[in-house]
Amino acid sequence: MMPLPAYLTVSVALFCIGLYGLVQRRSLIAMLIALELMLAAASLNVVAITTLSAGAPGVAVTRQIGAGHASSVGQVVALILIGVAAAEAAIALSLFVAIQRYANTINVEDLSELKG
Amino acid sequence: MTWGSALFWISGAMALAGAAMAVGLRNIFHNILGFALALVGVAGLFLTLGSDFLAVVLILVYVGALAIAMVYAVMLSYPLDTKPEPRSVWKVFGSAALAILVAAALYRVVLGPGRFASFAGPQETSAAWVGRRLLTDYVLAFELISVLLVVAMIGAVMVARKARMPKRAPTPAPKLIG
Repeated sequence: MMPLPAYLTVSVALFCIGLYGLVQRRSLIAMLIALELMLAAASLNVVAITTLSAGAPGVAVTRQIGAGHASSVGQVVALILIGVAAAEAAIALSLFVAIQRYANTINVEDLSELKG
Repeated sequence: MTWGSALFWISGAMALAGAAMAVGLRNIFHNILGFALALVGVAGLFLTLGSDFLAVVLILVYVGALAIAMVYAVMLSYPLDTKPEPRSVWKVFGSAALAILVAAALYRVVLGPGRFASFAGPQETSAAWVGRRLLTDYVLAFELISVLLVVAMIGAVMVARKARMPKRAPTPAPKLIG
């Protein structure tokens, strides 16, 4: 079993790669992919912290529930995150279809109608 | 090196390489394949943390989402063999600088001295515990998620459908000027 900082490092790297993609890409689908990467990094963080750290400052949930079952709380949070991500992806993709029908492009630099 | 740490290194490398592919490559289809690789890596990391149920759910949900996303990508994007226009250099540098700044800040906050000083060993958890929690302490969140999914599904159908048949049809949809 690897120590917690290893997982947190992977999570930080994943999150920042996603952030880079979200800011830099121009296709809406690519931006959605980058956003999903950031969400995956967040859920990895939650599961790693609840599984591997007991009694850390700021993680009160561990002591309250008792070691051994704290990890299941993290997994529940991650499951809910996956559900929200699925709903968000469904809405986003249908919006992309509507935008594509309306404007014939999903390049964000061409979608500046509300720019004023 | 034990099996656990070997799995950690392999999965972590897969996750980061896949993320780099998902963001760095130009072809949207390669992006999606890289995203799939990254998610398999994250599922492997979940496995090393002992949350096997979560790993399986991650792969199941995202494989379904990925198949649909691929269809959309092929349908919506430019033809795959056209040359994409070059990326603007200042935008690449600006986003890279932003990402590195955020990474440094996160690193400092999460892994700075004094944070998570005491590490417990691995804890035993099973899918049974996750299910028990979902149906007792977190039953409200569980129900809300199912309502949210239904609402999102109906909303997605409505959003994609309305645009197809505009009420006042004859005038063509206005073209956007960039």
